[in-house]
Amino acid sequence: MTEYRILLVDDDPDFAASTTALLQSAGHSVLWAKTGEEALRMARQDRPDLILLDVMLSERTEGFFVLQEIRRDTELKDIPVIVISSIYAECPGFRVSPEKDWLPAERFLAKPVDPITLITEVRRVVEEKGKGEGR
Amino acid sequence: MDSKGDEELTKRVVVIDDDAVILLSCEQVLSRAGYIVEVFDRGEPGLERVRQFPPPVLVVDLKMPGMDGFEVIREVRTHAPEVVIVVITGYATIATAVEAMKLGAYDFLPKPFTPDELRLIVGRGFERWALARESERLKKQKEAAERRFLSFVSHQLKTPAVAVKQYLDVMLHTNRDQLPEQALQWIERCQVRLGEMFSLIDDWLALSRLERGELVRKEEKSDVCRVARDVVERLQPLASKSEVEIHEFFAEEGIWVRGDERSICVLLENLISNAIKYNVRGGRVEVISSKQEGQVVFEVRDTGIGIAEEFLPRLGEEFFRVRDETTRHIQGTGLGLTICRKIVEELGGKMTVESKVGVGTVFRVILPEAGGIDGPAKEAQ
Repeated sequence: MTEYRILLVDDDPDFAASTTALLQSAGHSVLWAKTGEEALRMARQDRPDLILLDVMLSERTEGFFVLQEIRRDTELKDIPVIVISSIYAECPGFRVSPEKDWLPAERFLAKPVDPITLITEVRRVVEEKGKGEGR
Repeated sequence: MDSKGDEELTKRVVVIDDDAVILLSCEQVLSRAGYIVEVFDRGEPGLERVRQFPPPVLVVDLKMPGMDGFEVIREVRTHAPEVVIVVITGYATIATAVEAMKLGAYDFLPKPFTPDELRLIVGRGFERWALARESERLKKQKEAAERRFLSFVSHQLKTPAVAVKQYLDVMLHTNRDQLPEQALQWIERCQVRLGEMFSLIDDWLALSRLERGELVRKEEKSDVCRVARDVVERLQPLASKSEVEIHEFFAEEGIWVRGDERSICVLLENLISNAIKYNVRGGRVEVISSKQEGQVVFEVRDTGIGIAEEFLPRLGEEFFRVRDETTRHIQGTGLGLTICRKIVEELGGKMTVESKVGVGTVFRVILPEAGGIDGPAKEAQ
């Protein structure tokens, strides 16, 4: 089983604690950032394999800006990102398609996220990214 | 717009009068009072200018050859209702002034009038315009605040519940073997009850958006077959758990209705999940759609417990749920059919229901076909 280094960006300590425990149980190591600023600093410093990002941090749309900043940064732009948020969960099946320019994430998951889905998607997203670069 | 441009906008006054002397004196008096004056000696070009670039105040003579003042007023009220109109009446005939006021003019100025009278009445017109503009601005501000409030509240309500749900999910996922049987059962009950809360928040938000006209987008179109297949696929786990089979019958491929995919998805999801939930073990749900004379007919039939006749008229009432022995164990917010009814109404359709206790229920939705509407770009290839 491959271990990934995952940066979890979420301002809710409880959501972060349970998600960290889940990811650790799947063999990954987890770094936690509470704010967008912290997230960018930790991403540059620790180069995670994957970033899990909430949209609404202390500011309503802070996560979007973090994501755009990641994509602009030549050193960070290739790190895959999964956006996890409760803001679009109001209609099941409604998804922001990842290819949209304004939300350049690899995946979009609604909060609360099912444990098996999260673990599967984490693995899949990192593997897809790895293959893409190998080509 | 820069501040100078904005000031020009708020100082403009258009004067239409066939009498060159009045036109000239109006221009002089009002320019000196600080207004930006545009004058026209005939109705047609004056009206054209007002329609293209509405000033705060229009001063118009009632009696003119060609297009008269009444006609100008009618047109301006229709095409630029925010313009405050002051009429000039010859020979001080009160009857014509009253008629103009009835058409929507704000005030009148009987000939002959003094420069002071003109300045006073035009000044009042500007005050009225500014007041209307300010209240319009406040109204918009209030609406935006309400919109933000809605999504803020739903987010604030969800955040703590999400945190709790995530702990429970992870606990079951990682420590299932160590938990005593009783704890497992209770955790599962907690998850069910939290699920109810999420549904309630989502339904409440959907309903609020519907009532504000923000949910349904009529200018888009969706393929009922495609949306229905998506919904059925998503509801398959619920159907399997309830031992209910779902069958789809589409008269053809690509049955397009007016309305965005998201609203149609909410509509179908509610109807089909009801048909599963209010069914019996080993029951069937049929999802049927066809085109009929420019309309799309969509039916969800179930072989479930049915609805007693006395309850049928109350379906779609907010928070109404049939409560008896057969439904006690079924979860629901009591808002699902209200949401369905409103979506169908917004789209200019009709929803009817037929039911027999112990036999089953048919929900039939008739929606306008999407003829001529260009949908949004469908998902990227």
